[in-house]
Amino acid sequence: MMKYFFQRVLALVITLFIILTVAFLVIRLMPGSIYDSNESLSAEMVKILEDKYHLNDPMIVQYRYFLEDIIVRGDWGTSVAVQPRVPVWEVLGSKIPVTLQLNFISLVIAMPIGIAAGIFAAIYQNTKVDYVISFFVVLFISVPSFIFGSLLQYFLAYKLGWFPIIYNATGVGMAKYLSMVLPITALTFSPVARVTRYLRGELIENLSSEYMLLARTKGLTQLQATVRHSMRNSFVPLANIIIPMFTNILTGSLVVEQIFSVAGVGGLLVASINSSDHTLTIAILIFYSLISLVTILIVDLSYGLIDPRVRIGGGSYD
Amino acid sequence: MTNSINGIPYESPRPAREDDFELLQLGADLKDAKFESPPIGFFKDATLRLAKNKAAVAALVIILVVSAMAVFGPMMTAYAFDQQFVDYQNMPPRIPLLAPLGIADGSRVLENRRADGLSDTEKYPEGCILKVMNRRTVNGVEMVDVKVDYYRYSGCEENFLLGSDYLGRDLWTRLWRGTRVSLFIAVFSVVTNVIIGVIYGSVAGYYGGKLDMVLMRVCEIIQSFPRVVVATLFIMFFGTGIFSIIMSLLISGWIQTARLVRAQFYRFKGREYVLAARTMGVRDRAIIFRHILPNSLGPIITTMMIAVPQAIFTESFLAYIGLGLKAPEPSIGVLLSEGQKVLLNFPYQSLFPGIVISALMISFNLFGNGLRDAMDPTLRGT
Repeated sequence: MMKYFFQRVLALVITLFIILTVAFLVIRLMPGSIYDSNESLSAEMVKILEDKYHLNDPMIVQYRYFLEDIIVRGDWGTSVAVQPRVPVWEVLGSKIPVTLQLNFISLVIAMPIGIAAGIFAAIYQNTKVDYVISFFVVLFISVPSFIFGSLLQYFLAYKLGWFPIIYNATGVGMAKYLSMVLPITALTFSPVARVTRYLRGELIENLSSEYMLLARTKGLTQLQATVRHSMRNSFVPLANIIIPMFTNILTGSLVVEQIFSVAGVGGLLVASINSSDHTLTIAILIFYSLISLVTILIVDLSYGLIDPRVRIGGGSYD
Repeated sequence: MTNSINGIPYESPRPAREDDFELLQLGADLKDAKFESPPIGFFKDATLRLAKNKAAVAALVIILVVSAMAVFGPMMTAYAFDQQFVDYQNMPPRIPLLAPLGIADGSRVLENRRADGLSDTEKYPEGCILKVMNRRTVNGVEMVDVKVDYYRYSGCEENFLLGSDYLGRDLWTRLWRGTRVSLFIAVFSVVTNVIIGVIYGSVAGYYGGKLDMVLMRVCEIIQSFPRVVVATLFIMFFGTGIFSIIMSLLISGWIQTARLVRAQFYRFKGREYVLAARTMGVRDRAIIFRHILPNSLGPIITTMMIAVPQAIFTESFLAYIGLGLKAPEPSIGVLLSEGQKVLLNFPYQSLFPGIVISALMISFNLFGNGLRDAMDPTLRGT
């Protein structure tokens, strides 16, 4: 198990390194200079600035500086345009909590709803309950979260006035929570549907399995057998779809943040690209990559931890 | 002459003659009927099952209708997708057929107007006032909300079926043109992905061994690049546009197909018919594409159908955060993001692209599920 763990972590580090290198290449190979957009600088000043930041050195030398700064000193540079002269992790650090908060809450809300709906759909398989739930599953999986976002914003916030139209970042207490309701709801639909669909499939398979027949034969009621045997087995693989869902919601959150004017990482990414703030862009890309890679790592490891039957390496604990 | 085995004598058998045998069933008529219908192959079987799935058939019809509109829709109006009518911005939708029902009749409610100004024909051309509502007195002045025929009110001679946008461009033309662009991006990227994935997966699965291991490690690394990051890097390097979007869809999109095809090859490459073909000297390429690959056609088609809505989503998602196509080219995502900016004032500008993208996504998902059930009934309902 430890060997496998280190293998996976090594793979993660290598992938991050590749992304970092590609990001470096993309930015340095782009035509034009970072200072092109700033017309108040004379050619001489640009030259001085470029020399200061080693922008006229050969690519490989620049790459060494780049890696040295990031890996040895942990210095990711300062923002150039979005918040000039502020270290990028400080800029990012002020936005990450907002984004993570929205995403995490919507995932936490989605799970019990999805699980309940999935159980109902499976137990009442091929009845009206099942059909209604399946209809909503298709609807929620298909329609993008930003459509739900717009609908909620127009009807619940604008027409009915139940909630604030945009996210209230400066508000405290109730005002702030109320403004979080709509973005979170918009992000919740898709994970609910995914959990429901997956759990329904798993549970139906388990309900018709032979150990259920055995459980009934030895005298358990249908309810006891379902709760004690089928459900337990169905929940095992659920963890493996819930964790990667976090990355999905994070992507959807980019757009929902735009709709509700949430000052999160999504808006920051777009702003940094549009203003050529490359140091900031790289930091955001690494943030996204790190989250996505860590979720993949957790899933890979949890396969073995949660369900010993699929443990890799022939079941040995090396 | 007598023969003996182990001293036991036996009579040598007389050679068989023809009249020893009697053909019992020579005159009997066969009871089993001859097949009168032509044989049903895998795809015909799947089609029959698919035709019974009402939701999938309805989805297919919607897909076909939307695709047809994407081709012919822009030709139905006299306007080009980038033609601007600067005087007629944000016109409400007016569809002559629906107008008598009070839907999309080109009317708009103007709020807080002075009641005494209503008779002014300069401001309110004759016949443009449909309804006067909500009479009230504010600071001694009588105020009303008035519902006007906005086309008469603004003296607009044009007829915008779905209204016009903030530059006075016809939204009907832009909507279908945008649908065309979105569908093109989706179909092009999915087809390319399948071609790459099939070749990659076939090679990995057929040859196996070290080559397979290396190819699969490459897959794993590429797959762990988050899509947002890949798209961002492409857009930074090549700028926004159709090329960056398609490329970002191509980077990791083929991996799913490659894995699927590889798994199918592992299943079939040890079968006797493959061994027979190899014994007869069939070349690798022919074994891969003629003998093994057709077995995985069903799952490949299903994956394609599920990948199309994902591609449509990615395109509109990128457009929505402002990394979409270059103006004035529309796509569903571009229209949605333009509509979002004026959502509270002119909701119809988001409504129609929203309906089209939702209909497309739902239909492709339903049709994809239907196809999967039809081609592999054992997977039904999962």
